[in-house]
This record gives sequence, C-alpha cells and structure tokens, in this order.
Amino acid sequence: MKKIALLVVAAGILVFNSCKKEGCTDPEALNYSDKAKTDNGTCQYEEVQETGKVTLMLAHYWVNETMDFSLNMQYVHPETGDSLTFTTFKYFVSNIKLKKEDGTWWTQPESYYLVNLDEAEGAQLVLSGVPVGNYTGISYVMGVDSTRNVSGAQTGALSTTSGMFWSWNTGYIMVKAEGTSPQAGMGGAFTYHLGGFSGNNNIVTTKTAAFGTESLNVTTTSTGMIHLGVDPSRLFTTTGSVSNVGMVHMPGQNAVTMATDFYNSGVSFKYIHN
Amino acid sequence: MRFIIILCLLQVLTACKKTLITPVLPLLSFYQPVDFPEPVYPLAQNPVTREKFELGRLLFYSPVLSLDNTISCATCHAQTHLFADHNVAVSSGVGGLTGTRNAPPVFNMAWQPHFMWDGGVNHLEMFSIAPITNPVEMNETMLNVINKLNASDYWKKQFKAAFGTDQITDQQLFRALTQYMLMIVSDGSHYDKVKRGQASFTADQQAGYNLFLQKCASCHKEPLFTDYSFRNNGLDEISADDGRYLITQLESDKGRFKVPTLRNVLLTYPYMHDGRFFTIDQVLEHYSSGVKSHTNLDPSLQNGIPLTADEKKYLKRFLETLNDYELMSKMELSEP
Ligand code: HEC
Ligand code: HEC
Repeated sequence: MKKIALLVVAAGILVFNSCKKEGCTDPEALNYSDKAKTDNGTCQYEEVQETGKVTLMLAHYWVNETMDFSLNMQYVHPETGDSLTFTTFKYFVSNIKLKKEDGTWWTQPESYYLVNLDEAEGAQLVLSGVPVGNYTGISYVMGVDSTRNVSGAQTGALSTTSGMFWSWNTGYIMVKAEGTSPQAGMGGAFTYHLGGFSGNNNIVTTKTAAFGTESLNVTTTSTGMIHLGVDPSRLFTTTGSVSNVGMVHMPGQNAVTMATDFYNSGVSFKYIHN
Repeated sequence: MRFIIILCLLQVLTACKKTLITPVLPLLSFYQPVDFPEPVYPLAQNPVTREKFELGRLLFYSPVLSLDNTISCATCHAQTHLFADHNVAVSSGVGGLTGTRNAPPVFNMAWQPHFMWDGGVNHLEMFSIAPITNPVEMNETMLNVINKLNASDYWKKQFKAAFGTDQITDQQLFRALTQYMLMIVSDGSHYDKVKRGQASFTADQQAGYNLFLQKCASCHKEPLFTDYSFRNNGLDEISADDGRYLITQLESDKGRFKVPTLRNVLLTYPYMHDGRFFTIDQVLEHYSSGVKSHTNLDPSLQNGIPLTADEKKYLKRFLETLNDYELMSKMELSEP
C-alpha cells in the first residue's frame, strides 16, 4: 500500500516537472493557456465593446396604477370583495434580453433577480454591461427556467438562502405571496407558494414587449429606464376569493392558474425613459 | 523503491524553480467501478478534489448543520450501518422528533437519478437542503446555516482551503457534501468479486442468484440492484404514505415508491419505506404470500412471487453475497 502511495506521489511529481510552459498566462485573454507558467507576450484579446447601464423599474400597484401597492397595507379586491393585507411578496424575474435596432438580441448573462418587496431597492433591477446602441424591445421570463431547477446548486439570486426553494420536491418557489384576510379560512391567513417547471405544472412564462415609437439609447453614461407595472391583485383573477383557495404550497393546477393569471395580466410593460 | 524516491527528489530539484510543490494530501478523483454504468451525476460541474472531499467529510460528520448542534448527517447515515440509520424503522432528529420513513443507505449516489423514497429531489447537490431544513431532522434554515458557517473562523478556513474564497455559499456547502457522498461507492462485495472473476459462488449462492435473476432482477436490476423506477410492491391495500403521488399528484402514482438497492441489504434492516419488516425472512414471506392488491400494484406481482422454503434459503444465501465489508471499514470515509 505504502509503495503504491509513493508511486502515486512520484507520478504526480513527474507530471509537475516538465519545464516547457510558455504561453499566454492572462485568464482574460482568448488564447489563455492554463498550462503556461511564463507569459511569452502572445495573448490575444477580444475587441473591447463599450457598454452602459439600463434599469428595469418595477412599479407595484393595486388594480389601478394610481394606487401604489406595498406590504402591510390593507386593500380590497374589486372582484371578490376580500380585504387583503400582504406581509410577503417576492418573485423571480429572469433571462432578460433587449432587442437591438437591427433585430438581434442582447442576452444578459446569468440573468436572475429576486424581487422582494421587503427591500426598498428590490424593485429596481440594474442591468449592466449592456452594449452601447439603440434598443426597441425587451423579453424576460417570469419565474426560473427549468434548466436551473434541475441543474443542482446555484448562486446569487438563486441561492437557497432566500427560502424560495422547495427542499422535498426540488424546485424554486417562483412567487411567494403571504398575508392575512378576514375572508380566509385557516386563522385568517393566506399563503401562496407558486412554482413548477415541467409538464402541466409549468408556470414559467416568457414575456416580450416592443417599446413603441421611441427607442432606448444606451451610451456609456446613459441612465435609461424600462418601466414595468406589477399588479398582485391579478393573482385572484380565476381562483377568486381567498376563501376558495387560501393556500398553495406545491406545483399543480392552483399554482398554474394563479401564477399565469398574475404573469399574463398582472405584469406588463409601461414605458421607457431615456 | 528507494531508488525511485531519490529519482523523484532529483526531479524536484531540477524542475522549474517557479513551481513550488507542496504535497499536502494525496490526490483524489472520482472512482468508477469498471462494471458500473456511467454516473448520472454531472461530475464535470463539480470535479472531485481531495480538498473538497475532505471538507464534505467534515461537514457530513458535523452537527453544525443542525439547529441545536446535536445532529449530523452521520447520526442517521452511519458507516457502520453502510450509511443507513442504526437499524431503526424511522430516524430521530433534533429534539428526538421522528419522521415517517426509513433512512436509506447513502452509497452509489452518483448513479442515482432521483432521491428519497418518492424521488422528490432531482439532483444530489440539492439533497442536503432537505434534512437541514426538515423540522424533524436538523430543523435549520439555509440562511442560518450559511451565517453560522461564515461566522466561524474554523469553517472559513476549511472552505477557503477547498474553494479558495472568503465567503461561504450554499452552493459550496452542497457541492462539498456531494463530493463526500460521490466517494461512497459500494462495489466490494463477494458478488462483485465473483463478477470480476476473483471469487466464485457456492452452489447455494449460485442457485439463489439464478432465482434472483428470474424473480427479482426486473426491478432490483444489476449491477446497482435497482432500476430506480417507482413501483407498488403490494405492501398495503390503502397506503398511509402516498409515495410518488406526493410529487406528481397523479392517481397512478399513489402508493408507489422508488425501488431500493439491495446491495448490503442484510446489514441495513429494517426494510421498506417505513421500515415495517425487521427481517429478510419477513420480506421474502411478503413476496411469497403477503402481496396485497392495490390499484397500482405492479402487474408482475399480481400473483405475488411464490417461493418454496428452499428457494427462500437460496435467495438469502445470494443476498448475503451483496454485503460490502470493505465499505464498512474504509478509513477514508470514517469520522475525521
Ligand atoms: C434525522 C435523520 C437524518 C438526518 C440527520 C439526515 N438524513 Fe438523510 N435521510 C433520512 C431519511 C429518513 C431519508 C429518507 C427520506 C425520504 O425518502 O423521505 C434520508 C435520505 C437521504 C438520501 C437519499 C437516499 C436515497 O436513496 O434516495 C440522501 C442522499 C441523504 N439522506 C443524505 C443526507 C445528508 C447529506 C444529510 C446531512 C446534511 C442527511 N442525509 C441527514 C434521515 C436523515
Ligand atoms: C415489481 C418490482 C419488484 C420486484 C419484482 C421485487 N421487488 Fe423488492 N422492492 C420493490 C419496491 C418498489 C420496494 C420498495 C417498496 C416500499 O418500500 O414501498 C422493494 C423493496 C424490497 C426490499 C426492501 C429493501 C430496503 O432496503 O428496504 C427487499 C429486501 C426486496 N425488495 C427484495 C426483493 C426480492 C428478494 C425480490 C424477489 C423475490 C424482489 N424484491 C422483487 C420492487 C420489487
């Protein structure tokens, strides 16, 4: 056993030992070589593209754009008559793309955001590294694409520390809406944990919008904004009163109905602002 | 031998002066038994290294992942019991609370496509969150665990050695635990040696093996001794635990459970998802005369699997050959 171990060490040393290790040692370079130890000045770089920032502003309102929506305030639902006070409202927005004037798309890398109404800055998604140019539209995904639900441990907005994850039935909770209502059974509480990414249970929804006549001009110093409106009252469009459906805590028909109602009619493009 | 060592030393001395070699721990890589299929786990996204494996091992044996620092993964998955619980039907977690399912042995996880008796977890990396946050197991939150680890100089040092970063993330925690589990491979049983031509079966064992291939292997498929499908093997007319249905909500999945591996089966009693049978004799008797009708009963079990006393004996002799005592005593996997 000891002999084998020594042989392994010996083999390891032999591998480390070869000395001809010249090449490009800059990991940022196109021809970076992880074997090279000494830089021989052959590094080649991608042409630097000028980029700027765009902010995606999410304005939350209740039914009518003139009524701001926030946590811990009581609202009446116009169709069901329920009085609703939300204590939690969080959801994922992902896979943001911007459409260039020439019809091609810029795709944001690692594009995952958790919007959390508990946090003031939660409703402003800053996209950086957007190539300078004119943009005419946006595409984004409400929820988390199926790939990220089946590929193991993630980081950033997709970290499980946010609690937006089902441990016993792997997958992201894509919308979490909790609160109280005198109309709700179960001690006057409502809890909606909406998710599901496969088959009939899939709630993930891609949304696109054209900006209209004006286009978004991104320069290295511009502060352009894309405004979206978000109306939580649309969760109840089909399921109706909290007394019908007061709790959803797994993928399935209720999750699909509530989430797609919210995504389709509660989230919409409003305007851009250069 | 000495000659080789001297040669190596010479090599070191003559090597690039910039390459400083500090051989701390022997290298480690994933171990693929020749007669196993390709692993299901995507090794490329988390290549096994000595440092990450050792971190995973520390974590597996550490109670830091539980609310009151009393329970570790190894509490319910002990090497002495082939990484199953200590021959109890259901496990006890924080505060002595018990769950409803039998803890399966955690080996050969690299080949498993889904986890838990109902297959609810789709990726080995995402497994650990389940026991950590389960109120009757470790009863923690992921946020709290990550904060606890980040507040500890000891753990920061361990994670830095493995991942090279100062901030501990849940992804690192999950991947380190995964590496430890990936290295728990059971392929050292007598059966494996027979398959590799290094040993042979006795006449009884061979008779048992033939019976096994005829009557059991359609579900408990070689070489992992499961095909990972979800089936109902007739335990109850009405299942107390809905099994696979809890995940899919399909009526046709009610009362179905993942076919468990039979490697080390004689060492990991009690049996079935709820640990209802304490002896292998009870299990064989179940297949022979106790299969109950259920709408989702597997078609191949409609008439049970009638077994004579001799057949039961031979099957047992064969199942014994699946015991892997090498794994049970593998130092590399023991409590650090
Ligand atoms: C309190 C006891 C307990 C603790 C602590 C515990 N487990 Fe488990 N483990 C179980 C039980 C019970 C199951 C079966 C769960 C089910 O199917 O519903 C299980 C299942 C598993 C499985 C799936 C095996 C399979 O064949 O599907 C893996 C992997 C696993 N545990 C790993 C771990 C890890 C890693 C830890 C520590 C982070 C851990 N366990 C902590 C009891 C425990
Ligand atoms: C139709 C598929 C099928 C066939 C055939 C089958 N089994 Fe099983 N077996 C299962 C399933 C499914 C379970 C788990 C059931 C549960 O826990 O609800 C299981 C569980 C077991 C267990 C318990 C293992 C553990 O760790 O808890 C043993 C032992 C076992 N089977 C042995 C056998 C033997 C021996 C045969 C042949 C005589 C056999 N099985 C035939 C599907 C099958």
